[in-house]
Amino acid sequence: MAATTESVKADAAEAPLLNKRNLIAGFMLYLVFYSFIRWYEGVYGWSAGLDSFAPEFETYWMNMLYIEMVIEVLLFSSINGWLWKTRDRKVMSITPREELRRHFTHWTWLVMYGWAIYWGASYFTEQDGTWHQTIVRDTDFTPSHIIEFYLSYPIYIITGTGAFMYAKTRLPTYQEGLHLMYLVSVVGPFMILPNVGLNEWGHTFWFMEELFVAPLHYGFVFFGWAALAIMGVVNTEVMTITKLLKKDLA
Amino acid sequence: MSASQSAVRSRAEAVQVSRTFDWMILFTVFTAVLGGYHIHYMLTGGDWDFWTDWKDRRLWVTVAPIVSITFPAAVQACLWYRYRLPFGAVVSVLALMLGEWINRYLNFWGWTYFPVNFCFPSNLIPGAIVLDVVLMLSSSLTATAVIGGLAYGLLFYPGNWPIIAPLHVPVEYNGMMMTLADLQGYHYVRTGTPEYIRMVEKGTLRTFGKDVAPVSAFFSGFVSIIIYFLWHFFGRWFSKTDFVDSSNV
Repeated sequence: MAATTESVKADAAEAPLLNKRNLIAGFMLYLVFYSFIRWYEGVYGWSAGLDSFAPEFETYWMNMLYIEMVIEVLLFSSINGWLWKTRDRKVMSITPREELRRHFTHWTWLVMYGWAIYWGASYFTEQDGTWHQTIVRDTDFTPSHIIEFYLSYPIYIITGTGAFMYAKTRLPTYQEGLHLMYLVSVVGPFMILPNVGLNEWGHTFWFMEELFVAPLHYGFVFFGWAALAIMGVVNTEVMTITKLLKKDLA
Repeated sequence: MSASQSAVRSRAEAVQVSRTFDWMILFTVFTAVLGGYHIHYMLTGGDWDFWTDWKDRRLWVTVAPIVSITFPAAVQACLWYRYRLPFGAVVSVLALMLGEWINRYLNFWGWTYFPVNFCFPSNLIPGAIVLDVVLMLSSSLTATAVIGGLAYGLLFYPGNWPIIAPLHVPVEYNGMMMTLADLQGYHYVRTGTPEYIRMVEKGTLRTFGKDVAPVSAFFSGFVSIIIYFLWHFFGRWFSKTDFVDSSNV
């Protein structure tokens, strides 16, 4: 009886397998942040974003670009640096329950990665299409680009590399080597950002009326396919979690 | 086996853990596929999908199925062949259409003020249902590609007909004959408005038996078959669980 009581107490004190508060907080963080960004675009896109030579463009848009770039570099370095610095050097000797707990944390990262990809690749990318159909660009740094290319893409890159780094430093599953599809699912969408170089190069040389299906944009398409590699990550995770739960579910 | 070697404390907890992972996986796959599929579709068929004055009887009917059968084929290759889940195509198309509708309403309308009846997305759901049903009933890649792929192309125009038909009625405007969709385009000027940019039906195809849409749909179905095969194998490749030696990277 005493032993049972001790066990119950230990269970109560133990950290939950899934930290729901972190999951919900992460989800809400992106939702609230991007809702604010959308409001900002709605107000200052029209009032200060039409003419890149106007002083208000510098105030409301270029300053935003400079600030976001600095913050993103700091976030990328600090998150990945922290994950590496605090890595588990005895990762192969953790208990199955701790491994399961870490898989839940890993999936919190992956949920956030999917959520960030939605905002970057779907919401702000198609939004860019309607902005270009409405406003003739006079700079590479149009309001929609300052949000799409230089805010939403870096955010999913930071989230994706964070997920990858977490898996690599804390989960026994990923100690065999480099998981090919995990690399593709993080590096492929990342490559969309350097591909902006090709995009802006083309739009700078040729005044292209906004044909969204123009071949100049196909680099984005190619790297967008890499999002499918999440299926390889899912397959690996399902195999691992099945192994962890198998005897209890049988 | 001792209790310390078990990841869970009871069968009930194991079931709960399994269900929780299911939801987290579903959300992640849904949003990641949404993002990848949407960026692919908007940049390979987007202009035809954005505006009613691009939704013609020839190029819209031809292009949209060919470029949109890609992700459904790849996701089916993972979900059916690994898990026997018969909804790869529908879940991909639902993801894409959710992303599109949110965008058309909140951004095309909410930011740049194009009315929704001018910029609603194409309906891809009937073809996706047929793809999944054919795969589920036949469990055959070849049958799904040939029957499902052809049906995917053929069903596209009928699946959108009730939506687009009212905008394809003829009107006379300043002495010119055009459709209501064309008229919408004239009133909502865009950077892509010049007529040499708009890729829509020209007169010549009508000399080939006058029926433009069925010929286009049949051609689209034919190419969709080939694209389905190709993307099925892309899907298999993306589903791999291989590791590479870190020292080789």
